[in-house]
Amino acid sequence: MTEQEARAAVYTAIHQVAPDVDTDDLAEDARLRQDLELDSLDFLRLVEIIAETTGVDVPERDYAEIVTVTGLIAYVGVHG
Amino acid sequence: MARSKKTIPHYYLSTTLDLRAALTWMEAQNAGRPITERLVPAALLLKASALAAKDTPEVNGFFTEGSFRPSAAVHLGVAVALRHGGLVAPALHDADSLPLEVLMRQLRDLVSRARGGRLQRAEMADPTLTITNLGDLGVDSVFGVIYPPQVALVGFGRLREEPWALNGLIGVRPAITATLSADHRVSDGLRGSRYLARIDELLQKPEEL
Repeated sequence: MTEQEARAAVYTAIHQVAPDVDTDDLAEDARLRQDLELDSLDFLRLVEIIAETTGVDVPERDYAEIVTVTGLIAYVGVHG
Repeated sequence: MARSKKTIPHYYLSTTLDLRAALTWMEAQNAGRPITERLVPAALLLKASALAAKDTPEVNGFFTEGSFRPSAAVHLGVAVALRHGGLVAPALHDADSLPLEVLMRQLRDLVSRARGGRLQRAEMADPTLTITNLGDLGVDSVFGVIYPPQVALVGFGRLREEPWALNGLIGVRPAITATLSADHRVSDGLRGSRYLARIDELLQKPEEL
């Protein structure tokens, strides 16, 4: 998957989980949990939506790689 | 909140729990599960809090008309922060008897409906004990205000790594601080500490939750 496709999928998923986050003005080094204020259930929902839309299933042991928006985009790009 | 602090003589207890056993077990479970069935630490904490409440009736029930009525059922109020501000604490009914998978599913459903403004009246009205889990917000412990007519509130802070001394050796463990705010008209420090100690015990055998 290209980085652009991965970015689009990630932004759409973030918008679904946290509609109040302005994805047009999103700092990509933002941390999903601390900066976007996703709790553990939001995070699980985000991973679920990413799997549904891109087929990329992030196992729990890889959660450390998707701490930030950039990290998640890169992960989806590489595995998608 | 003001009424709570005016009428309920709160007392507070705090203890730090070693979550290594619980998280190791949960990670092994999750490795074999599809995303939709994965557990989060909050599910284990809620189940342990509910089971421990069964053993310590003084934290579970209502104080009305000058006396305490323990509740036979454990309906856990789950404090949910709404994304636009505000807080609701709807009930996870009979949380002590739900298998973890079911509790997890119901927790996800409850939080999603709370945030969507789609809770049922009964869910808002009948929690017998409330749990607040600040999980990821970055503080170690939370000492909450009891929701009257309930008589206790359990708080969990941030999950963190701590140096941990055990049997003369120091290692690093995932840890979480559990607190209890309770009504001194109904329980005392001894009963309260037994309640927190029971949560700790239960979390050391996660496979039995």
